[in-house]
Amino acid sequence: MKDPYEALGVEKTASVDDIRKAYRRLAKKLHPDLNPGNKKAEEQFKEVSAAYDLLSDADKRARFDRGEIDASGAERPRQRYYRDFAAGADADHQYADASAFEDFAQADDFLSELLRRREHARANAPGPDLHYRLPVDFLDAVNGATIRLDVPDGGTLEVKIPAGIETGQVLRLRHKGAPGRGEGKPGDALIEVDVRPHRFFRREGDDIHLELPITLGEAVLGGQVPVPTPTGTVMMRVPKHANTGAVLRLRGKGAPRHGGGHGDELVTLRVMLPDKPDPELESFVSGWVGGKSYDPRRGMQP
Amino acid sequence: MISRQEFLLRARLDDTTLTAWIAEEWIIPRSAAAEPEFAEVDVARAELIRDLRQDLDVNDAGIGVILNLVDQVHGLRRTLAELLDDRRARVTPSRDGE
Repeated sequence: MKDPYEALGVEKTASVDDIRKAYRRLAKKLHPDLNPGNKKAEEQFKEVSAAYDLLSDADKRARFDRGEIDASGAERPRQRYYRDFAAGADADHQYADASAFEDFAQADDFLSELLRRREHARANAPGPDLHYRLPVDFLDAVNGATIRLDVPDGGTLEVKIPAGIETGQVLRLRHKGAPGRGEGKPGDALIEVDVRPHRFFRREGDDIHLELPITLGEAVLGGQVPVPTPTGTVMMRVPKHANTGAVLRLRGKGAPRHGGGHGDELVTLRVMLPDKPDPELESFVSGWVGGKSYDPRRGMQP
Repeated sequence: MISRQEFLLRARLDDTTLTAWIAEEWIIPRSAAAEPEFAEVDVARAELIRDLRQDLDVNDAGIGVILNLVDQVHGLRRTLAELLDDRRARVTPSRDGE
């Protein structure tokens, strides 16, 4: 450790005022925040401020002059300097200012790219948008719903899902994004919707498709059958002799349309035999003459 | 993030002084939340301002000028560092084959 008088460049007899003046003069030159990147200045500044700490305290100075204490250990620990935040990974704060280079940048060169990237770091700039993906249940997407979305910073967003939304559509929640700098408003939250598939409904445009199993009896004789729709079960009349593959239309039971109204639900019938073999049915079919003359595979010869 | 109360304590400031510094835009808190929030960089900046005023005897008009220039120097240093990084990244691979 250097002699404190030497460090400040003052005589042993210097007055308090001289010492303060000497310190000020050196600190103006050596303060680390006025010399970013200059390691030598930082070392010198440490010496100078340690010397000033010692000599500006009349009691310590007297003890040092009498040889009771030496100059070591007088360095005061300092928190990080401002410059430690103004470089490297921390540099994207609200004070960052790259405008001093603007006149060098030409359109589309590397420098203007750098400057653009930093534009958002300006004071009072609005915050960036945050992107989320939100899985939505099929029926919530068709009928509309309000869903709470947990966001990484610990908060929750209340997302109103408009009825009829489809996968890939993006909802924008104004000012629910990342906070702005200074007075800047927060960015927006952009929420991309991902509609989960449904067990038996399928959507094409505004229409809902459904494959509906019916019994042999319902197929042959017709009748009223219950059909699920996105808004609940309705009764539908199956006509007599309704075959597998026949499509029945339930008007207005589909998804909401842009500009009002609804699509349809299209019900494709599928005839199902009973779970277990039925002797009565077997004996009827083996004696059923009309059934033998019908070939559903005609026209399938290669 | 640091609350206003904690910031006053850490930066050893009184409330009136901080209000004045914010009005001068020497310190710019984040105001997205209901309460303005501060970061470590604001604490370090407040210490720099205090050094300038108390130790270096800079007057208020000088503080704004110095902060502006210091921020510009950092902007320049950062841009230069990125340019150099980019240049080094381009130069290095050609030496790998040696």
